[in-house]
Amino acid sequence: MDCKIASELLPPYFDGELDRTTSRELEAHLDGCAHCRDALIGLDALRTTLREEAPRHPAPELLRARIRKEISRTSVPMQSAAFAARSRHAGWLAMAASWVVMFAAGGMWMSMRNHAGANEDAQSQISRDMFAGHWRALAANSPFDVVSTDQHTVKPWFAGKVSVAPLVQDFTAQGFALVGGRIDYVGSERVPVLVYRHGHHLIDVFVLSPDHAPALDNPVQSQGYLQETVMLGGQPATIVSDMGGADLAHFAQLLGSVK
Amino acid sequence: MSSVIGQSFIDDLALRHLDAAYNLGRWLLGNEHEAADAVHDAYLRAVRAAGTYAGGNERAWWLAIVRNCCLARLALRNKNKRELAIDDGSTAPERWMPRSDSDDVENHVDSAQRQSMLKQHLQDLPLNFREVLILREIEELSYREIADALEIPIGTVMSRLARGRDLLQKALAEYATTQAPHGL
Repeated sequence: MDCKIASELLPPYFDGELDRTTSRELEAHLDGCAHCRDALIGLDALRTTLREEAPRHPAPELLRARIRKEISRTSVPMQSAAFAARSRHAGWLAMAASWVVMFAAGGMWMSMRNHAGANEDAQSQISRDMFAGHWRALAANSPFDVVSTDQHTVKPWFAGKVSVAPLVQDFTAQGFALVGGRIDYVGSERVPVLVYRHGHHLIDVFVLSPDHAPALDNPVQSQGYLQETVMLGGQPATIVSDMGGADLAHFAQLLGSVK
Repeated sequence: MSSVIGQSFIDDLALRHLDAAYNLGRWLLGNEHEAADAVHDAYLRAVRAAGTYAGGNERAWWLAIVRNCCLARLALRNKNKRELAIDDGSTAPERWMPRSDSDDVENHVDSAQRQSMLKQHLQDLPLNFREVLILREIEELSYREIADALEIPIGTVMSRLARGRDLLQKALAEYATTQAPHGL
């Protein structure tokens, strides 16, 4: 084993994630290599520093009490209800409870909705998740997990990672180049995201399940970013980008035409 | 039937891993009130999403929801900024600077300085690296759990962890050389 391989194996070894056989081989290398031993000591020193100087913040009692209160509020009415009603109640009560919290939070959500339908609440949550996902991708080193301009690479990459692999088509000729894909989280669902580029604009296409998608033809705007939902094959797909309205409409039309 | 299990399951899960959730929130959001609110949001969302829990690591599932609630708050907070400044280290509140219990005054100062310095270096790390470091080194999650919580492949966890450690080690080493007289 040379130092290059050893240096790659050191972190998983240090984290207890290396299998026994490989660990033995690495230990044999460590016996004879001061450089790699130093690297291991460095990892340990960093961990010690982090654990000592960046102590874990335990949850305040107040927060624990808040959650307990929430639990008693949601579970008491459920005990007297039939099973079928329970799941409906749980959802409804949680929704109602979340409204109380949102009002308590200072009405900052109010601008996002006029009439408080539960459905609308869930939808704007989905919308927010997708904006957050897009912004996070912009802030990350790389906005995608698989880099490829080839639709035949991107599509199989999704297979096995999400239940339904989305339709993937490249629109380089029309000015919207496919650059990759990633998996993101909307609500608690894993969804495939296709990443396109138009000039300097990054475009995310979140391919959603029909149950958890924003309404079609109902653009949402937030902080200069736009969301629009179209049908991509049989699945609703929400486009998130900061490109102009006309470009967005053009791109939406292209996506909508994919068969 | 599963919805009944779901409710108590979520309650139990949230309370059992409340510290982990709150700690993650603190490091992502940088202040105690928002961290607590985000965890509260996450509980409500977890209850609503109980039906979608498909088995697998429950702590990772819960932390994934917590993290999403934190990111949603970060996005709202930055709504006036065109560029997403996800790490607002400059405004990191001093009030949650960890306190030392040392009775030795000199030690106390040193230790407080070191803590605030380390906190700053951690906050300066890009979010991607900071969160894997917190989840691995402080919360002691396995690679698999981190991958599930962040919804990224294990390979990405490993590369981010390596890069994050490397960045932090370099930053600390640099700081040590500029502070040579005091030692570190």
